[in-house]
Amino acid sequence: MELPVLNEKPAATGGCSASSCGTTDDQLSHLSDDIREKVQNHPCYSEDAHHYFARMHVAVAPACNIQCHYCNRKYDCANESRPGVVSELLTPDQAVKKTMAVAANIPQMTVLGIAGPGDPLANPERTFETFRRLSEEAPDIKLCVSTNGLALPAAVEELSKHNIDHVTITINCVDPEVGAKIYPWIFWENRRIKGKKGAKILIEQQQKGLEMLVAKGILVKVNSVMIPGVNDKHLAEVSKIVKEKGAFLHNVMPLIAEAEHGTFYGVMGQRGPNPEELQALQDSCSGDMNMMRHCRQCRADAVGMLGEDRGDEFTMDKIETMEIDYQAAMEKRKVIHQAITEEMNSKRAAKATAAEQFAAEEKLTTRPVLMAVATSGQGLINMHFGHAKEFLIYEASPEGVRFISHRKTELYCSGDSACGEAETALQRTIRTLEGCEAVLCSKVGYEPWDMLEQAGIAPNGEHAMEPIEEAVMAVYKEMAAAGKLEEVSDQQRASA
Amino acid sequence: MSLKIIESCVNCYACEPLCPSKAIYMSKTHFKINAKKCTECEDDFAEPQCASICPIEGAILDALNVPLNPPGSLTGIPPERMAEVMAELQAH
Repeated sequence: MELPVLNEKPAATGGCSASSCGTTDDQLSHLSDDIREKVQNHPCYSEDAHHYFARMHVAVAPACNIQCHYCNRKYDCANESRPGVVSELLTPDQAVKKTMAVAANIPQMTVLGIAGPGDPLANPERTFETFRRLSEEAPDIKLCVSTNGLALPAAVEELSKHNIDHVTITINCVDPEVGAKIYPWIFWENRRIKGKKGAKILIEQQQKGLEMLVAKGILVKVNSVMIPGVNDKHLAEVSKIVKEKGAFLHNVMPLIAEAEHGTFYGVMGQRGPNPEELQALQDSCSGDMNMMRHCRQCRADAVGMLGEDRGDEFTMDKIETMEIDYQAAMEKRKVIHQAITEEMNSKRAAKATAAEQFAAEEKLTTRPVLMAVATSGQGLINMHFGHAKEFLIYEASPEGVRFISHRKTELYCSGDSACGEAETALQRTIRTLEGCEAVLCSKVGYEPWDMLEQAGIAPNGEHAMEPIEEAVMAVYKEMAAAGKLEEVSDQQRASA
Repeated sequence: MSLKIIESCVNCYACEPLCPSKAIYMSKTHFKINAKKCTECEDDFAEPQCASICPIEGAILDALNVPLNPPGSLTGIPPERMAEVMAELQAH
């Protein structure tokens, strides 16, 4: 069976269209071999790796040196975990212990990140002590750090000394006018500096830090938060600039702003983007730049595969009781990682062959369709509709299948008798699938089946355990053959 | 003369390393300031360092119990808007 995946070889063929380039799991293929080597098993950087490999964050860095309008240090919010309330703030010593325990128990773990809850580089001692010890005691774990960039230039030298080859900088703007609407203040040279002046310094430091990291050969990913009416029109420019400076991946994330988070944006009624707006912006930013679309905006203390959080299994009191033989764990990890890499490589090869076949086939001329997929990893349709905490959204078109985004949902099927609430939760789930015309999962119950159909979303459990892209294309072709999709002219497709 | 940290402190640690007099210390519920050591940064900095990095409005008070970062000053949220939204949330 053919496996039509776009852009298997964008670098070799060149000239692929802006709307499709760099969006599949082979988004990294234009990179040099050494960079690809660095990211191929990194769940946050490689879209196909995120189906196989796990990551964790340790919350050692509570302090921050700037204020963002989407963050509130006072309350727990969806973007971060606040020290002492939702997560355990760890000392570097505890962080090392926790990392070793998780790496021994979740052998798929490849990456340890420090991402706050404040800014890691505003906590240089805690951050660097953790990195220094881990690069000695757990040399097989990749280290990465996420920063707002204000203290970055001063930290580049120290960063380059450790086992760190990835840095993420959050860059929401390159214009201080825009910046003043996102950052009310920064703390710089012993003063709180407000407004445009503060934003200007932050932007300068971010750009300088980006250039310095690239010069050192450290990979840089840029995160941007899309804030409608504030920086949405500006982010294509940001994308262009950071790409020119050598950032290898751009991740545009939607703003999360609810009044109960107590953030400026939440309280002032600033809305977040809807999925269509986000997708349109990601497409306009893409060009020949890699866009990252599988980000889960995970917490500063997340543990496990992207999209899951196993933090509860690894609280400090539980870790204290665990006996860890890291040497043995490291050997076991090596074998498991090898096997996963082989599996990924053989799947990549199969996809490349299938893509060639697909390219040789006569093309459909039907319009594109969005489909939702329930998966727990391995790139397979292997999850029950009611168990899915999130759905991956794919677009099928005559050009092939591309990954678009993920959408989180609340679990409605709790397995107990809490059925009174189930209906509204199910309705909510269905609402999150708006715009999709089919949902592929391993199984769907009768009740959601009917409701999905009523909502115009075709439930489909026929492709259980099949590779996602293959199944999505098969369903697309069935829809086309059944005459459910209108024809689109070449011209319309070109402008789509 | 001394500044004071009150219970709305969220233990973010940001102030502690900045204090030139080493007057800030971690305590059971939140960070505190040793009144004997605190100089309000006089002779060291133009502005008290703890209050200059603290992200929580109202968490640091001066000797007269006046907040150095009054409501609205850091977040930009007008206090009346905050009150309105909080009242609305509680009503639900």
